[in-house]
Order: sequence, then structure tokens, then C-alpha cells
Amino acid sequence: MTADLKYAFRMLVKAPAFASIAILTLALGIGANTAIFSLIHELFLRGLPFKDPSRIMHIYGEAKERDLKQLPFSVPKFWHYRDGQTVFSSVAADWGNGYILTGLGEPVQVLGENVTANYFDLLGIRPILGRNFLPQEEMHDDVALITENFWRKRLSSDPGVLGRSIALNGVVTTIVGVLPNLPISWFGRDTEVFTVKPFENSNATKERMMLGYSFMRCIGRLKPDVTMEQAQSAMPALVQSYRTQHPETADCTWTSVLVSASEDVTGDLRPAFVTLLIAVGAVLLIACSNVANLLLVRFSGRRREIALRMALGADRRDVVRLFLLESTTVSVIAGIIGWCLALWIVALAPKMAGDNVPLENSISLHWPVLVFTLALSLLTGLAMGCYPAWQSSRADLIEGLKESIRAVSGSRGQHRLRRGLVAAQVALSMVLLATAAMLASSFVRLSNQETGFRSDHVWAAGIGLPDGRYPDAASRGRFAQRLVDEVQASPGVETTATVEALPMSGNYSQTPYARADGNPLPVNHRPLGLTRSISPGYFQTLRIPLLAGRDFTERDGTDAPLVVILSNSTAKKLFPGENPLGKQLLFGVDHGNGLMAEVIGVVGDVRSRELAKANDVEFYRPSPQRSFSFFNLVVRTSVNPETAAPMVRAALDKIDKEIPILQPNTLDTIITQSLGQRRLTMGLLGAFAGIALLLAVVGIYGAVAYTVEQRTAEIGVRMALGAQVKDVLRLVVRQGMNPVLIGLGLGLVAIFGTGRFLTAQLYQISPHNPILLALTAAGLAIAALLACLVPARRATSIDPIQALRAE
Amino acid sequence: MIRLHNLERSYPLGRGQLFYVLRDIDLDIAEGDFVSIMGPSGAGKSTLLHILGMHDHGWTGEYFFDETAVHHLKAKERATLRNQQIGFVFQQYHLLDDLTVYENLDIPLSYRHYSKSERAALVADALDRFQIVGKKDLYPRQLSGGQQQLVGVARAIIAGPKLLLADEPTGNLHSSQGEEIMELFRRLNEEGMTIVQVTHSEKNASYGKRIVQLRDGWIV
Ligand SMILES: Nc1ncnc2c1ncn2[C@@H]1O[C@H](COP(=O)(O)OP(=O)(O)O)[C@@H](O)[C@H]1O
Ligand SMILES: [Mg+2]
Repeated sequence: MTADLKYAFRMLVKAPAFASIAILTLALGIGANTAIFSLIHELFLRGLPFKDPSRIMHIYGEAKERDLKQLPFSVPKFWHYRDGQTVFSSVAADWGNGYILTGLGEPVQVLGENVTANYFDLLGIRPILGRNFLPQEEMHDDVALITENFWRKRLSSDPGVLGRSIALNGVVTTIVGVLPNLPISWFGRDTEVFTVKPFENSNATKERMMLGYSFMRCIGRLKPDVTMEQAQSAMPALVQSYRTQHPETADCTWTSVLVSASEDVTGDLRPAFVTLLIAVGAVLLIACSNVANLLLVRFSGRRREIALRMALGADRRDVVRLFLLESTTVSVIAGIIGWCLALWIVALAPKMAGDNVPLENSISLHWPVLVFTLALSLLTGLAMGCYPAWQSSRADLIEGLKESIRAVSGSRGQHRLRRGLVAAQVALSMVLLATAAMLASSFVRLSNQETGFRSDHVWAAGIGLPDGRYPDAASRGRFAQRLVDEVQASPGVETTATVEALPMSGNYSQTPYARADGNPLPVNHRPLGLTRSISPGYFQTLRIPLLAGRDFTERDGTDAPLVVILSNSTAKKLFPGENPLGKQLLFGVDHGNGLMAEVIGVVGDVRSRELAKANDVEFYRPSPQRSFSFFNLVVRTSVNPETAAPMVRAALDKIDKEIPILQPNTLDTIITQSLGQRRLTMGLLGAFAGIALLLAVVGIYGAVAYTVEQRTAEIGVRMALGAQVKDVLRLVVRQGMNPVLIGLGLGLVAIFGTGRFLTAQLYQISPHNPILLALTAAGLAIAALLACLVPARRATSIDPIQALRAE
Repeated sequence: MIRLHNLERSYPLGRGQLFYVLRDIDLDIAEGDFVSIMGPSGAGKSTLLHILGMHDHGWTGEYFFDETAVHHLKAKERATLRNQQIGFVFQQYHLLDDLTVYENLDIPLSYRHYSKSERAALVADALDRFQIVGKKDLYPRQLSGGQQQLVGVARAIIAGPKLLLADEPTGNLHSSQGEEIMELFRRLNEEGMTIVQVTHSEKNASYGKRIVQLRDGWIV
């Protein structure tokens, strides 16, 4: 065996061209597969680092008839479920919060969560220092858990961290434990601190809270003997009892749906990764068929060696083993190189994806991936070596002799196989290229999608006001007004405004609404509409056109009559054929029927949630009348928008030095980032399609070149009989292009068969778009033609005299 | 019909030296002639035949085909002239393995300007004339050597050349099969075909009208 292995190595070293082409080809295939497998492992297989994550259920609200899905929990509902359910061993809740951390140098914002005391016990996460929260701390205590990152970076790994106090939003809070760093797929990026008091939220009054203001993620761990289906079928009873006992709440009409934690974090990524997995599979198939082709040529060129070995007593199995050893040697070396390639691709992935895909910043390749690569390498080595080895070992002494006499063209079986491999490669490349082209075209269309607002020259950042010093709408309103005035007065600033949540940032809020006239539905049957609290000047800053009525002014304050501005399509939907100005709408859940607001204006439609989807309903409210302790500042500058940052800092320093600037960014960047997942999929698929094309072209070239070499004598005869340059070119190209055309046809059929699967990942382009498919096919055909032409040109320079003499 | 004057063919030997395969060849071949070229192996017979057949362009001297000065023609013009005037028969037959007899006969026509129906008619004629109609769908390996060479000759003349060149056409055949081919040549010659053959056998040479002896590149 060792001797054979040595021999295999020596044979490869002796044929460096063959060895390097085969190894590189396979390395590309194995590398792509390893990279995607490692991303899939990371996102889907490794699972959340919780205890038994498949037993953890995320409970969502849903109102199918109003097309509302994945809705959060309200406080009364949580209490009702927590106390009434019997299928979970425990139920917990959390919600994301921002804290201003003071007392450790500059004031900074840290992201964190308010959680129920049992939250980390439910997940099965043990602190690395200290302890988890205690039940008695839940309602009133100012205690915190921090992550290892927080501890190491902000507290310099202070050994006396337990019992140490930090100021969060101005409240002195005691650290009781340090948690290991947490998965961003569950907690989001940069979540570092956790506190209790989960049922207090400064964004809503006690009254609104008890009327079903929904903001919590509710999770439960299944009891050991309860299945997910059983738990799901226990939900309607809870839904029903909550509805009877809390008929006044906005969320009592929703049903409850369980989604397992693992499904929850990756559900929407699945189609993209299935696509990618199929793509890399295709790349590997192409690579394998290329190398199989090479091996076929190589092994059948060694008939004399085989005959000799057999004469010396080798049997067929020995010969097959010898060849398989050679092919697996190639594939294992390729696997090692592919592994390095994968490391590189995987390192790029988080950058391409941005915040849009929950990938940790540094993905390491874990041992299951190593096993995968190794198994894949061995398997490909065996798979592609089998047929060539079997074929070549068939030759016994006499047959070997016969074969060498009529050497004009190789065996018909091999010939057909080679052409079949080329056709398959072309078909796969066609599918990959077309898919990549469609994704790219979708991406370009999305990138160029009109948003309805102008994002250039706009800088944006979050501002969070601590409740202690800014307890009410009036104090926050005064702060916001001063900030806007200060920034507005800075050089280079055109306009500035505040907005509750930035468009395309992934943050938005929805409110029940209804026309006040006629017979409005009860609150909990009303549809939800996107609602943004803004300051006067927001429309001007984002260049959203005012179509009718007026913008908000300073007079639309806390105590002034409530007012609302509608997007154009909202106005058309709610007031078809009527003048919406002066009409009354009901918003929210206050007093059980919502608050009445007068329509004072209509503005242009914008895409604010997703580039891919227009909002059908969107409302704007003046921020004093719907106030939050967290909001965003948007600044339109006449110069580079990045220059706004120091000006805003200077303005803040004049008003309140303790307020940090949160997540400063340009609006352009925010929009670009919203396409992160698409960019990742498109980038990877584009790269794979490129590799597929390259490999297919190499494969076609190899096959045609080999044919030309084998047919030298025939071509010589044909030239002697009168064939001229163009005849020879036609002969070779026609033969080379024949399987290519068959492959293109098969590829098109495959696209028509599988295109529907892609539709969800495309934007404004059909998977059967004829122009795109035609261009792809034409591009591939041209590449293939060039691949044929090179050896065909060589064929035309065959000297018939030499070719005939060679016999 | 053919006039060679002072024709020479050489290969570089390295270090500026030349190795002459053919020297100072003067040869006239009249229309309707049947010439046998003889000489020991390596004398330059095949080389001369390839020059006559306008495959080889690396020679110097003068070569007139009818009134055309071949030495002044470009490669492309020579190819056209060759396709119109010259047919080839090879010692190893050089039939294409993967084509049937019918398709082998069709090859030369496919490289000349014939319509589909003309081609079919010409192939049918040839099959008839050489009495191989029954073999038209067979592959070369299903034929005996003599039959293969018969197809080889049929293929050489199917496009109606005036000159037939044959390099040891019977070299791979039994004597009885060889005689058949020679009889065929004689008949073709009687019908007006000019033939130049290379042969080692006195007997085959006797079918021709005259013999040209080559030795070390010289006509003797
Ligand atoms: N391409 C070539 N390079 C060098 N020498 C060649 C080449 N082709 C033929 N020769 C030489 O030319 C001589 C004549 O060859 P050839 O015409 O085939 O002889 P014949 O057919 O008479 O046996 C031989 O000595 C051969 O070695
Ligand atoms: Mg010879």
C-alpha cells in the first residue's frame, strides 16, 4: 500500500501539468463546498449554544385575517400565559433596550435587554462568574448581568467585578454575574448588558401597557414529555381564556404560534442557502467530471504499463486500486488546498453580509467541517476515479495490442462518456450562470429602486434619553427642539429633523388604526399601520414631497389637537375619492378606542421597511404627541455627510454632555446594508457561477484538444482528400460544440423546471426572463466556442504528410 | 501535363547544413501516361509524390501542371487546383474507421462544390462501377484489405481527377488482391486517367508505361 502510494505520488510528480490542473480544479470545487458547508454549519447545524435548543419555543402572535405575523407579546398576555400554561417547564420574556453607560469615561450607549429573572436559566446559560438573576429581583432590583466582552473591554477584566456598580441610564446598578458571549443570531450584534424589570417600558404608559402594547419576545421550554405539536395544540385554550379575561386588550384577537428557537433564527435564510448549496454541488460535479475526463485520458494512455503489470501477475483489482489511489491522492491534496480557499471565503462572508445575516464576526472552521471536507475529498477521488480505472483495467494483453493498432480514435464508450460529461458541465454551468445573472439583476434593480426619498448627503444617528432626567414627552420635546435648532445653525447643514426609526433600518412600529367616522371596528380587530413619530422638517430633510395640506410645525405640541400626515397610498386606501384633509382617524389603544387625530397633510409614498416592498399604509405623527426616549437625528448637509458627526457632538455638548451619539451612519450606507443578505447570496453565487464557467470552459477545451490529438491521422487524411482550413475548423468546432449545445438545451430545461423555486429570491425579474436566458446561453456558447477554437486552430496546422507518415 | 524542372527538396540538418531528399529533378509526364516510380527505401519516392500532389510546399524549382506554374501559386490556389485535378491512394488505405463505405466515398465530394443530389449520384456511380454496392453500409473493419483498397481507389477518383497518385497501393495486400488493384489502374489509365504510382514490385511496375528510378534523391 505504501509502495503504491509512493508510486502514485511519483506518477503525479512526473505529470505536473495534469496534476496541477486536476488539483486546482478539484480544489475550487471542494473549497466552495467547504465554505458553504461551514456557513450552513454555522447558521443551521451548530445550533444555538443553549441547552437543548430544539426544546425552546418562541411564541409568536398572529392575526392571519389581517396579514399580521410574528407579533410580539404584551405584559398582560405574558402574565396570562406564564400562569396559565401547562406544557412548558418555564416561560420567560426579553426585549431589547439601549442603555447609556456613564461613569466609565465618555458616556456611551450599550445595547442590552430587559429580561425576566428566569431567562438565562431557561436557555441553560450559566454565567462564567457570579450567578443568574434571582426570582425576587425581577420586579424591583437594579441588578445587571454583563457579557464577557463587556467585562474584558469596559472593565478591563476586573476580578472584583461582582458587586461592582455601573450607571445605566443614570441608575446605579449592581453587577451580579458575567455571562459568556452570546450568539448574535439570538441576541443581535453587540448586546452586552442585561437588567430585570421586564414589565416596565418607558415607551408606553402603564395604561397602554395593560391595553396590550406588545413588545416582548416570549419563549418557553417544553416539558420533557411534551412534544412541540402537543404544546401548539395547547395554545388555543390559552388564546381563548386570555380573550375572555382581557377583552379590552389590542392583542386578545391574535392566535399563538410556536416556532422552535433554531428555526426562528434562520428560517428566512433557508431558501438562499439551499440555492447556494445546490450551486456548490454543481460546481463540484463540474470539477469532478473535468478531472474524471483527465483521468480517463491519462489512464487509457497507460495501457502498456497496465499490460505489463498484468503480465507480471497483477489482476484487475490491483490495477483498479492503483488508479484509485492516484485519483484519491489528487483529491486529498485538492481537499487541503480547498480547505485554505474555504477559510478565505468564509472570512469574507460576514463583511459581505453586513448586519443582515446573523454571522459571528469571525467564523472558525469547526471539526465537523474538517470531517466534511475530508470525506468529500475521498469520495470525489473515488467517484471520479472509478470509471476511468475500471475502463482502463479492462485491457488484457491481447486487447491492449489490438487497441494500439487502430489508434485513430479511442473506444466509442469513452468517447460518448466524454461528450456526456461536457454536456452535463455545460448544463450545470448554464443553470448557475442564469441563476447568478438573475440574482445580480434583482440586486441591481433593488439597488436602483426608487425609495421615494433622497438618501444622499444625509447623516443619521440614534439619541437615547435616560428616563431619569427626561421622564416625559415635554422634557424630551424640549431636548429635541434644542438639538435640532443647534444643529440647524451649524455650517454646512441644510435641514435637520428627528424621527422615531430610520427608514430601512429594520426598526419600525405599527399601530392599530381606523377611520373615526362610520362604525370603527373594536381596537383589537383593527389593522396595523406603520407609524413614525417625526419632527417638523423631516420631509424636507429626506426630500419627501408634501402633496397636500401642511407639514407639522412647533405648534403641533403635546397639548395641541392631535394631528397626522398620511402617505399618498394610505390616503387613497382610507379615503378613496374623498379629500382626506380634515378627516379624523383613530390611533393606538388608549382609552380602549384609540386617540382621535386629524389628517392635516398627505406626502409621497416611500419604501421604508424593505426596498423590495412598497408600504400600503404609513402614518406620520408629530413626536411631541407620540414621544419616545429613543429617536434618530437626521441631518442633510450640503457637504460630505460624515462632517455632521462632530457638529452634532458639539451641539449635544452644549445641551447635555452625558448623551452619546449612537450608531452614526449615512443613510446611503443604511440602505446598502439592508441588502446584505442578497449581496452575500449574489456574491457567493456569482463567484461559484464564475468558477463553474471557468471549469466548464477548461473542460470543453480539454475534451476538444484531446479529440484533436486523437484524430490527428483522420484530419490528415481529410486534408489529403481536399479538406481546407475552414473544413477542418468546421469539423472540430462542430464536434466540440455538439455536446455544448445539448448541454445548453438541458440547462434551459432545468431552469424552466426549477425556476419557480427561485422566484422568492428575485425582484422584478422572472426566472424565465427570455432576454436574460438568451444572453446567458449566448455568453456560454461564445465561451465554449472560444474553448473549441483554440484546439481547432491547432488542428488546421496539422501537416497531412506528417500525419499520414505517423502511421 | 506535368513538367518538373530542377526541383529540389531538402530538410535542415542543423548547424546550417541541409539534407537533400530530392536533387535536380527534371521530369515530364504526359497526359494519359502511367508512370511507376521505383527505388530503395528512403530514396525520396513518397516525397516526390507529395510534391506532385501539392501537399508539400517546401521545395524549390519549377513545377508546371498543364500550363499552370505551380511554383508561383499560393497555398490556397494549390489546394484548389489539387482538389480539381488530383486523387490519392495510400498504402494504408486511410479509410475513416467510424464512417461507412458510402460515407468514406462521400468525403472528397463534401470538400468540393457539389450539391447534395450530385454527391449522391456520384457516390452511387462509384459504388456501381467498383461493384461494391452491397458493401456501402459496412465499416472499413468489416472489409478485407483488398476491398478496403478498392474503396480507397474509388474514393480517390470519385471527384473526377485527371491525375491519380498512389503510394505503394498494394504494399499491404496479398499478391492476388494486388493484381486486382493493378488491373483496375490499367483500366482507369485506358479510360484516360494519368497515373503515377510508387511501387517496389517489378510486376506492378510492368502494368505501367514507364519506370522512373530514384536513388538518393536523384533520378537515374
Ligand atoms: N520531415 C522530415 N525531416 C527530415 N527528413 C525527412 C523528413 N521526411 C522525410 N525525410 C527523409 O527523406 C528521405 C526520403 O523519404 P521518403 O520520401 O519517405 O522515402 P521513400 O518513400 O522513398 O522511402 C528519408 O531519408 C527520410 O528520412
Ligand atoms: Mg515511402
